[in-house]
Amino acid sequence: MFAQFFGAYLLNKKLVTPEELTQAFEDKNKTRMRLGVLAINAGLMTAEQVEYVNVAQQSVDKRFGDLAVELGYITKDQVEELLAQQPTEYLLLGQTLVNNGALSNSDFEAAINDYKASNQFSDEDLVENTSESISKLVSVFYHLEKAENARVLTNYVSMLFKNIVRFVGSDFTPLTSSAVRDFSANYLVTQKITGGVNGITCIAADSAEYLEFAKRFAGESFTEVDDFVNETVGEFLNIQNGLFAVNESNENGLELTMTPQTRSSDGKIVFEKAAFSIPVAFSFGEIVFIISIE
Amino acid sequence: MNIQDLKVLICDDSMFARKKLNMTIAGFGVKEIYEAADGEEAVAKYCEYEPDVVFMDIIMPKITGLDALRQIIDKYPDAKVVMASSVGTQGHLKEALKAGAADFLQKPIADDDAKTILENAAKGVL
Repeated sequence: MFAQFFGAYLLNKKLVTPEELTQAFEDKNKTRMRLGVLAINAGLMTAEQVEYVNVAQQSVDKRFGDLAVELGYITKDQVEELLAQQPTEYLLLGQTLVNNGALSNSDFEAAINDYKASNQFSDEDLVENTSESISKLVSVFYHLEKAENARVLTNYVSMLFKNIVRFVGSDFTPLTSSAVRDFSANYLVTQKITGGVNGITCIAADSAEYLEFAKRFAGESFTEVDDFVNETVGEFLNIQNGLFAVNESNENGLELTMTPQTRSSDGKIVFEKAAFSIPVAFSFGEIVFIISIE
Repeated sequence: MNIQDLKVLICDDSMFARKKLNMTIAGFGVKEIYEAADGEEAVAKYCEYEPDVVFMDIIMPKITGLDALRQIIDKYPDAKVVMASSVGTQGHLKEALKAGAADFLQKPIADDDAKTILENAAKGVL
C-alpha cells in the first residue's frame, strides 16, 4: 500500500507526471531490484556514490556490490543483508521510475528521505501492510487527524484501499481529496450506512472508467453499461461497506447495517453535510469514492 | 447424498452476486440451482422448491434476509439456511443464529467455504 501513497506524494510534488506513474505501475512487475536503490533506501549509500559505482561498472567487469565494497562505501555483510531483503512494492516502483528515466537516483534519494521524515514513517510502516500502518498512511495523506469523525473516516478509507488492492488491482494512485456538497458523474451508485454511525457512501465515475472498474471487479468483459454492470459496481460498494461494518463491530463494538444500493438516475447526488470525496487514479482512469458521515 | 444431488436456492438482490455464486456451485456439479432477488421471492421460492440448502443475503429490498429466514424457519423448522452476507457483524450474526440460520458466510464468499457448506449439507451435518 505504501507504493501507491508514495506515488501520490511524487505526483503532488510534481516529481513525476501521471503518465510516468501509470507506466511505472504497469512495468513494475517486470522490474528487478538493483542494489543501488536498496542501498539508497537503507541510507547506506548516497545517490552520488551509487552513480559513481554505476559509471565505474562501465569500465570494469564487476558486480555493483563487489565494486561498492572495494570503494569502501558499504561492507560485504551489508550487501548480503540488502540482497536478502524481499523487494518491497514502493522500492520496485522507485526502481521502475529510475529505469524509465522519470526519476534520477538522486531525485529518488531526496524524495524517499523527505517523505519518510515529513510523515514520521518508520521502516516498519513502509514494509508491513498491517492495519495500523495503512491507517497511518491514510490518516497522514488525507490529513484526517483533525477531521470530525477522524477514527471512523480513517477506518473506512483504510478498508477501502485494502479492498481496492484485494478486488480491483494495485495499479492506482490516491489523489488529493476534497470536501463536496454535491457530485455529478455519468454513473453514481450509493449505499446508506445506518446504526451507530449514519452515512452515505458513493462510487462515481464516467462511462468508460465505470465499465473498466466493473470489469476488473467481476473478472469479466463488458462492452456497455447495463443493469449487470451497475450491480457489479454496487456489489463492490456493498462488500466494502460490509467489511467496514464487520470491522467496526469487531474492533469498536459499533453495530452498523446498510440499505440496498441505489443508482442516481440524473447523475447527481446532493449531501446534507459536507462529504469527503476520494478520487483514485487507476491506470484505466479515475474513480471517485465519496463518504458523508451524518 | 452427493452434493451434485442437492437442491440449492441463492437469494441475493445483486445479479452479480447471484451469478458468481451460481457459477461456483454449478462448478461443483450441483444441477438444481434456483435464484431469488429479494426477501419475499426467497420465501416464495423456498416454499415452491423446498431446497436442501439456501444461501441468503441479508440486505435485500422488500423484506430483509433475516425476516425471510424467520418466515422460512416458521414454516419449515428444519430448513438449512446459510446467511451469506457482506455484513457479518456481531449483531447480525447473533440475530441470524437466534432466528435459526445454519451458518454464516462473510461476503465475498470463498469457493472453499461454499463447498464445505454443500458437503456438510450432503452429509446431513449442516
